[in-house]
Amino acid sequence: MSYYITVLTSITVDLVAILSMYLLLGLTGIFSMGQASFMCIGAYVTGMIATRADVPMGVCLVLSILAGMICALFVGMPCIKLRRDYIALVTLGFGEAIVALLNNMNNITGGALGITGIPRKINLYWGLLILILTILFVVNFKNSKFGRQCIAVKNDEISAAAMGINVARVKLLVFVIAGGITAMSGCLLAYSTTYVEPLAFGVNRTINWISTVFVGGINSLSGSTVSGLIFGILPEALRFSSSGRIILQCLIVILVVNFLPQGLFGENEVGDIFKKIKRKLTKKPTVWEGEK
Amino acid sequence: MNIVEVKNLSLNFGGVKAVQNVSLTIEKGGVTSIIGPNGAGKTTFFNIISGVYKPTSGTVIFDGQDITGLEQHEISLLGMSRTFQNIRLFGQLDVLRNVQTALDSRARYNLFDAIIGSPKKRKFDKQNAEKSMECLELVGLAKYAYEKPGSLPYGMQRKVELARALASDPKLLLLDEPAAGLNLTETEEFIELLHRVQEKFDLTILLIEHRLQVVHSLSKKIYVLNFGELLAEGTSEEIQANEEVIKAYMGEDDE
Repeated sequence: MSYYITVLTSITVDLVAILSMYLLLGLTGIFSMGQASFMCIGAYVTGMIATRADVPMGVCLVLSILAGMICALFVGMPCIKLRRDYIALVTLGFGEAIVALLNNMNNITGGALGITGIPRKINLYWGLLILILTILFVVNFKNSKFGRQCIAVKNDEISAAAMGINVARVKLLVFVIAGGITAMSGCLLAYSTTYVEPLAFGVNRTINWISTVFVGGINSLSGSTVSGLIFGILPEALRFSSSGRIILQCLIVILVVNFLPQGLFGENEVGDIFKKIKRKLTKKPTVWEGEK
Repeated sequence: MNIVEVKNLSLNFGGVKAVQNVSLTIEKGGVTSIIGPNGAGKTTFFNIISGVYKPTSGTVIFDGQDITGLEQHEISLLGMSRTFQNIRLFGQLDVLRNVQTALDSRARYNLFDAIIGSPKKRKFDKQNAEKSMECLELVGLAKYAYEKPGSLPYGMQRKVELARALASDPKLLLLDEPAAGLNLTETEEFIELLHRVQEKFDLTILLIEHRLQVVHSLSKKIYVLNFGELLAEGTSEEIQANEEVIKAYMGEDDE
């Protein structure tokens, strides 16, 4: 496989995970600092099954998603009633615990050496197909009552509950869905890179995703996708200088947070443009020119 | 018939007795008001009825059902909706979607319908959006439906909150100082709007206010709270003549 295709595949895999981070952080406002550990869970489930038995890819994919969702359910249940900053702490602890556990269970997981020799079954086309399906999933989720409820919960929990929204249930639902999607990206990662090692899933990776979502926009799926692409391509484009690319990435984050606190896209989606044009054509524009 | 019956309701925050042994009933239909000076426990009382706080003791019966200790959303789904003293709209949803959230929690489609965009989902979403638009038309804000609430002036935001509370066709509407921060003309407009709402919807309104003038023309029955306790009850005229109430508002005469 050529170099560019490998890079693009890994960007696609990461984008799937970033979409789950968007669901949590952009849409619902849940600060999960241990999200990479769900990718780890998906990757290890796939790795452990695929190196021991010759099972079809679909089976591993489904098992990974299920494993991610079950873990998210158990982590999420005590978490959702907590305040935002405490959720961050609990999930951070969970994430690091998973990594430490896999790193030390030598006989089952191969310890720090990880698992090697996973068959390569995911190529760019498979990755793109799954990415597009995930985007469709998230778009439809956002445009349904569930998406609106998530935003309501993010903005004001008391007010959301007064509208009849079961706040705890909405948060748990998103947490479980995001856990499933992240675990799926883990499965893709295992099948595309052919090896997994626990230390690749530490808090650094989660923080990368969080900053990607923030740079993309405070609540924008398109923004998260675009900034995911930028942050995916950038390190490869700057391969000649390894310290330069980290500095540049940090610089982008600082500049965006400072000068565009709403992120690149703010709350806008690419699809909204057509809606706005349609509305302008059918009705007169309504601009409020009142008190400032 | 009574829509709300509150018996011996108390709530302590540590040593502070925010609400003490309050018993009252609210008759179905019309407007009932709770007035009282600042810090009298009016909003706390609302928060207990609507489920934000759990009472230390006492019971709340709503429409024949004991709702003491139920979660906020459960009470809301039983047909009680409210507005907030300090406006609490969802800043990242446009005005129409803000109103629609009240109907979304009652829309009967599941996650699967949402993901595949089934006809059922589209039907419910369309119906609810239309109904939300009707509510916005009622309060006169239909043309701002696609603005973010943050870009509207204060008085309009109050109306959006009212529309959002009305959208779910509640049996009981709790209004927490709906005229706070409004000037005289805006207050009059708001009172007029409440009269229109009453005509259109078959509902009971419970209103909190600390200015007697506002509730005077609206309500048939007024309760007065002071220091967490029920001080007086009666019609507007009775309350205005009540010496205890005057003392609570004006302070005691030293001589």
